[in-house]
Amino acid sequence: MGFHIVLVEAVAALRTSEIIGKTFNIVKTNLITILNNFIMNKIITPKFNGYAVSNLLAFVLIGLSKLLLDMRGLNAGIFVFSEFVIVPFLMGIISTWYWKNLQLTGRQLTGYSCINGLIAIALSYIFLKEGSICLLIVSPLLLAFIISGAFAGRAMFRQDNETLNVSVLSLLLLVFVVDSISLHEYKNEVSDQIIINAPVSKVWPLVVEYDRNTDPDKYWLFKAGMPSPVQSTVDGHYVGANRKCIFSNGYTFDEKIVTYDINQNLTFDITRQPRDPEIMGHIDIIRGQFILKDNHNGTTTLIGNSWYKLYVFPTWYYDWWAESITRNVHLRVMDHIKHLSEKK
Amino acid sequence: MFLFVVKYLNFLKSVPLLPHLFDGLLRLHLLVFKPSVLSLIDEIETEVSKWKGVKITSHKYGGLQFNYKQKEIGHIHGNGMLDVLLNKTSKQYISDNKRVREHHSIKSSGWISFSIVSNNDVQMALKLLAMAYNLRYKNQSDLYIH
Repeated sequence: MGFHIVLVEAVAALRTSEIIGKTFNIVKTNLITILNNFIMNKIITPKFNGYAVSNLLAFVLIGLSKLLLDMRGLNAGIFVFSEFVIVPFLMGIISTWYWKNLQLTGRQLTGYSCINGLIAIALSYIFLKEGSICLLIVSPLLLAFIISGAFAGRAMFRQDNETLNVSVLSLLLLVFVVDSISLHEYKNEVSDQIIINAPVSKVWPLVVEYDRNTDPDKYWLFKAGMPSPVQSTVDGHYVGANRKCIFSNGYTFDEKIVTYDINQNLTFDITRQPRDPEIMGHIDIIRGQFILKDNHNGTTTLIGNSWYKLYVFPTWYYDWWAESITRNVHLRVMDHIKHLSEKK
Repeated sequence: MFLFVVKYLNFLKSVPLLPHLFDGLLRLHLLVFKPSVLSLIDEIETEVSKWKGVKITSHKYGGLQFNYKQKEIGHIHGNGMLDVLLNKTSKQYISDNKRVREHHSIKSSGWISFSIVSNNDVQMALKLLAMAYNLRYKNQSDLYIH
């Protein structure tokens, strides 16, 4: 009798565990289905795909561009024209393909495209380690081409002409590949001049080295956080001497004097640039120069020249920025020299 | 800004994608500073797309282009500037409206320009586009939009 009770209890326990197991499996299956539905319907929506796929494509294309440059033995650090023009334009087209059934208005499409661009900028900050000023500079180009691509894509997909669509995309990809394997080299010189109400003999020592500039920055990019030049030091007054140009964030450009014509010409080559993400791989300052001209009326014309190499394309966009920044570096230094020279 | 670029940098329009960049920047500017104008452009687009035989494409220099049977009747730039192709008679008919001007770059032609800035401009923009549409329609010996 005792054995029978034990057996019945054992069978009951077994059934209970079986029921619990089955219930657990049902709950598990339902949870997976709910989660799946949630992910598919609420997260992986056409809107999400538009953002995700276009950004993924952009990163794949940028990687491919680096690979092509590397395979050709070119500087893989260069950012070619296609990466800022073709890639965002393609991003716009691709995103619109996912959004084509959402019946977006032009205003919505512009807004969505801006969000897409901001995602790309955030991803560049995280994965490409780009500086915030660089991203600020690139953002109008990126956003405008994503918007243009989105509207071009909308027009393309409205016509529903597959041959045309494939032709446009193939042409853009062809331009991308040809651009990626082409040689990219660009050098430029920026020159500025000011009149200083002091004789050359008073200006010259301040051109060679000057005390810390504590005046507030005027240029908007310096105000926005871009480092500005504050001080220059030298370890000798002769050709071959080392000179340092110190920036507001403590970064230093190491320079070597190559021409030292007293009261006339100070030329120096940049031997080492700071490893700042804002400039690293994007621009190389090669040489700097100050020319002094005696006006024979107690005043001096001070000319500042800089030579640089750009590694970001298209130059019609980036050189405009590079010139503006270099000009404002010149003016900050030259205005400080003027201020110190004209001090009684 | 738009007129400055059109007047002094017009030669750059043949650079591939550069006009599109400019149009994209204009749209971005509208989105940030005058988003309501984008909605007005949408209103016009929605209305014109209902007209028989009208197709909307991308303009060669960026912006929206309205075509009737593959012939352009007008386009809207990213800043809300509407350009419409009329003829001399139609141009005279609307000459009393000071807001309707000669086309910003093609002078002494059938082209006119009109800036969309407020709600009231939607009706005028539609009227101008309808005039251009009717001109093409007339040539097709078909119906008119009134």
